[in-house]
Amino acid sequence: MSITANYVLDAKGLACPMPIVKTKKAMTELLPGQVIEIQATDKGSTADLKAWAETTGNQYLGTIEEGITLKHYLRKASENEVKLERTYSDVVSLNELLTKIEGNEKITVLDVREPAEYAFGHIPGAKSIPLGELEQRLNELNQEDEIHIICRSGSRSDLAAKQLSKKGFKIIKNVVSGMKDWTGPVETENN
Amino acid sequence: MKVAIIAANGGLFDAYKVFNIATAAAATDAEVGIFFTFEGLNLIHKQAYKQLPLPEGKEHFQEGFQKANVPSIEELVSMAQEMGVKLIACQMTMDVMSLEKEHFVEGIEVGGAASFLNFAKDANVTLSF
Repeated sequence: MSITANYVLDAKGLACPMPIVKTKKAMTELLPGQVIEIQATDKGSTADLKAWAETTGNQYLGTIEEGITLKHYLRKASENEVKLERTYSDVVSLNELLTKIEGNEKITVLDVREPAEYAFGHIPGAKSIPLGELEQRLNELNQEDEIHIICRSGSRSDLAAKQLSKKGFKIIKNVVSGMKDWTGPVETENN
Repeated sequence: MKVAIIAANGGLFDAYKVFNIATAAAATDAEVGIFFTFEGLNLIHKQAYKQLPLPEGKEHFQEGFQKANVPSIEELVSMAQEMGVKLIACQMTMDVMSLEKEHFVEGIEVGGAASFLNFAKDANVTLSF
């Protein structure tokens, strides 16, 4: 699968601790919420980057193996999401959404996370439009549809819900919390 | 996170143990301090740290270091300093070995046991190599 990243770091051929040290430096070039692809050949780098992300509060998305090259995807933490200020009031829980999906109700699930986050696991059939592109891609959505917006924690989807209802969309629901707690079916882009 | 390390040995293996953990910790936003004492002073000595010895009988690992593309100790030290790792040389050992601050890499501090303890008293991780 091909995954879009905002920044690509070549750490191939480097031994521990260099992939971590280079990642730390590269992260300062990214804006909060952006995704970095780290190419490494150090076999320990998968475990290390997972642990590094956990300690530093960044988000580890996943790893793809291409021959001897490991491509790791991380998303830089965003302060807005840590604060968790949700102001859009029409929310549904993950369970309610799951019930609707299992009941084959006619709803649209809109995933507003970054493409890399979507690629490593999303609700089957969910449409991917990253929050930053929503404004330009409104024509891909139907104003009359019942749209359930989801992200990782409920913050980006909150912003997206407000945007869409301002634009005249009729039935917009923010799904909370988000994919980080989703236990229903998930598909990845390579299967 | 705060990491306090004591480096008391002066071989190449010791240097990698110390600086790999230190740079990884610094890259993970930790505050890191290393106290160099006795043979550990070699690890920041301007000349000595360029040619640290491998343990006797283990000289053949030299090749492995090159093959694995492991950074040199010089590189690791400057990287550590760039990331704010505090390097403290032990005054008492320097006196015993007749070493002066100029003999060491730029940017180190010199202190006694109390300065290290002051740094380490609230550390989350304390290591000794």
